Amino acid sequence: MAVVEAIDLHRTYRTSTGTFRRKWKDVEAVRGVSFEIGEGELFGLLGPNGAGKTTTIKMLITLLIPTSGTARVLGHDVVKDAREVRKSIGYVFGGERGVYERLSGYDNLRYFAELYGVPPKRIRPRIDELLELVGLRGREQERAEGYSRGMKQRLHIARGLLHDPPVVFLDEPTIGLDPIGARELRATVASLAQAGKTILLTTHYMFEADALCDRIAVINRGQIVAEGTPADLKQRVADGTVVEVEVFGVPEGTVKRVRGLSGVLSVSVEEREQAQVIIVQTRADVELTQGILGTLDGANVGRISRREPTLEDAYVALVAEQ
Amino acid sequence: MTNARVFFVGGYLSYRALFNWMHWSYYVPTMLGAPIFQILFFAYIGRYAQVKDDEFFVVGNAVQLSSMAGIYGMAMTVGGERWTQTLSPLMATPASRLPLFLGRALPLIANGIITSAFAFVVGWLLLDFELGAREIPALAVVVAVSAFACTSLGLVVGSLGLRVRDVFFLANAVVYSLLLFCGVNIPLESLPNWMEAVGRSLPLTHGIEAARAIADGATLGSVDHLIWTELGIGGAYAAVAYALFRFFEIEGRRRATLETI
Amino acid sequence: MRILRLLWVGWKFHVKSLTLSAFFILTSILQPIIFASVAYFMFRTGAREGTLLYVALGAGMMGIWSSTLFGSGGAIQWQRWQGTLEYCIAVPPPFLLVILPLTLATATIGLYSLTATLVWGWLFFDVPLEVADPLAFAVALPVAVVGLGLLGLILASTFVMYRNANALSNLLEYPVWLVTGLLVSLSLMPGWVGPISWVLAPTWGVNALREAAIAGNPWPEIGMCLVLGAVYLVIGHFALQHFERLARERATLSLT
Repeated sequence: MAVVEAIDLHRTYRTSTGTFRRKWKDVEAVRGVSFEIGEGELFGLLGPNGAGKTTTIKMLITLLIPTSGTARVLGHDVVKDAREVRKSIGYVFGGERGVYERLSGYDNLRYFAELYGVPPKRIRPRIDELLELVGLRGREQERAEGYSRGMKQRLHIARGLLHDPPVVFLDEPTIGLDPIGARELRATVASLAQAGKTILLTTHYMFEADALCDRIAVINRGQIVAEGTPADLKQRVADGTVVEVEVFGVPEGTVKRVRGLSGVLSVSVEEREQAQVIIVQTRADVELTQGILGTLDGANVGRISRREPTLEDAYVALVAEQ
Repeated sequence: MTNARVFFVGGYLSYRALFNWMHWSYYVPTMLGAPIFQILFFAYIGRYAQVKDDEFFVVGNAVQLSSMAGIYGMAMTVGGERWTQTLSPLMATPASRLPLFLGRALPLIANGIITSAFAFVVGWLLLDFELGAREIPALAVVVAVSAFACTSLGLVVGSLGLRVRDVFFLANAVVYSLLLFCGVNIPLESLPNWMEAVGRSLPLTHGIEAARAIADGATLGSVDHLIWTELGIGGAYAAVAYALFRFFEIEGRRRATLETI
Repeated sequence: MRILRLLWVGWKFHVKSLTLSAFFILTSILQPIIFASVAYFMFRTGAREGTLLYVALGAGMMGIWSSTLFGSGGAIQWQRWQGTLEYCIAVPPPFLLVILPLTLATATIGLYSLTATLVWGWLFFDVPLEVADPLAFAVALPVAVVGLGLLGLILASTFVMYRNANALSNLLEYPVWLVTGLLVSLSLMPGWVGPISWVLAPTWGVNALREAAIAGNPWPEIGMCLVLGAVYLVIGHFALQHFERLARERATLSLT
């Protein structure tokens, strides 16, 4: 039995503009998302900002009611059996907000431990364990308002794990962390997976999903555009080549022209310091370097390179569609 | 020419920005609903405690209500700027300070007058209070002057907001203090001397005195000394505010404290 | 048993959190002192004979109401702003058991207001701080606080839904002070105010305190306060359930 099931989830938001004469607009953030997560799996939901990752996760953790579709965690419906779902899940949103600022990290954890029904005798030792795990030991008596962003993030993680839930949802947990902190966090997530927990992780970092996840679903504009193991996704671009052309000032219409060349799979432009880099994925059997240069129309060109495609390119190809 | 633009357009836009989030469903209860009950509350206490008459409380509170927009609005203008961190860009503009901030005062004064007028109508409808048509223009003048004086006080509060962490609390304290010291609900002669002295150095006191005289039949001319005093007080506070503002601005630049919340 | 623990821990947590919020505490003390002073002066000036303790208790109760009103409504908004509202909803216990300790805590903070009002009156206005029936007073006080805390529950449930419910809290301060007869005898008001006052806890709370302090029999009032509290609890429970569900449907739990 799948531990987490999402079945054709839809979620529409109503937004309004104006003060006196309000205009309402419907925004469909999630447009038919379906996936399943098996027991002990580390599942990644990968997509750019605004793709609908957070909305999807909020539906699964019972904070949002889907406009249509169903979702189940451990067999319990997230709308009808919300209470049962809440007992078995932990979630980490992270960010600057979400803690009781005036009170200490310890007090924050103590309060939520009570809310999550941690047996009274277990509360103190459990909090100590978690403080050790997330590296906040020694700072727990300080007021949360004095915590750095990274420390708050770690407090969030500790809170999400208080009741040792079998299913854990992590929404962009490494955002805002310095590289070392992020690496430590990834190690923690990996160890949680090894301990048998089922984990859903959202991120927009491809390398993070690649490194941690057993399976990945790529989401863009509210829909899943690809699903599979990291190896599967790499396969999508495996027979192909990537040409990178460094340009100082991409002329208008270039991207369109490049796309028009036959054998081109996708085109994107990246800003790198002083220049822009046009990244073109092509089929393996074509040689397009001259063709690409031809579309550049006399612009200043720097380095040109050819390389093997990476998972990052697969991701870009999937989400860069206009 | 630029000064006039800064004055009018800047003021209007700042007012919009401040109240942009304010739907009419918020504005109505706050600016119109609460005043009704404030007047009723104090008038009834007056009846129960057997102090003065309804007119005393209607006039006192109606004039006091013109101060709310001015004090809160001005305090939030500066306090709010800081909070939303628009203060630095604003400080860096070449616009002259005076028209900039006075431009913000105008909509607030207008707001105050409307609230006051509404309060007078409420008093007339629900309590034992009569108002002759002849008295209305005179009262309007008095209310406008008081509203101006209170807006200046609000400017002082706002200037202090450059240093104080929580300007809203200060604004609250000032508004409540006005209820206590300015003869709004307690006849000045019943207050201890020192409190009466404090009241006389605050805006509102002389305006209320003038308004009560007018409601009793006095002409505008006979109370003009009170009106001039009120104007003077308003001007004095505006000057204090300006000085404070410049002082904090310079000091803030020196100590880089302008952005710390 | 677990429910009691949850309420106790939650109540302690929120009382601590509110106490450490300087703004909230200062407002809880400053505003009641000023309003009490206005009341003391008015009654001293006026022709009515009567004990100032009567006024003091009324003014104190005004403070407890303000605390509850702004605390309960404001607390929801403040939690939303702090980002903790969502975390409070997605926990196993019913939302009622999460919010109730909060509203009880805000009413408890009102005790700071009451104390400040009484001490201030005693220091500067010769308010006699003698309580006729200390035992009854000691019972009436927490009952009044609980009664108001439960009324705050209903307020809080409305504010879960609407982001700008602050406007409503501004509007409910004076009217409740007025119709619950805190400083004005209800006999002075139109007849239809009476029934409204009977369903509001502060009416019974302040009368209980007055009967206990000045002279009389506070026990019926204490009883009424408890009965009303139970009614509020039931209403609040259903209101919270309903509004929480609506909030999840319309996504108004977070700021964005």
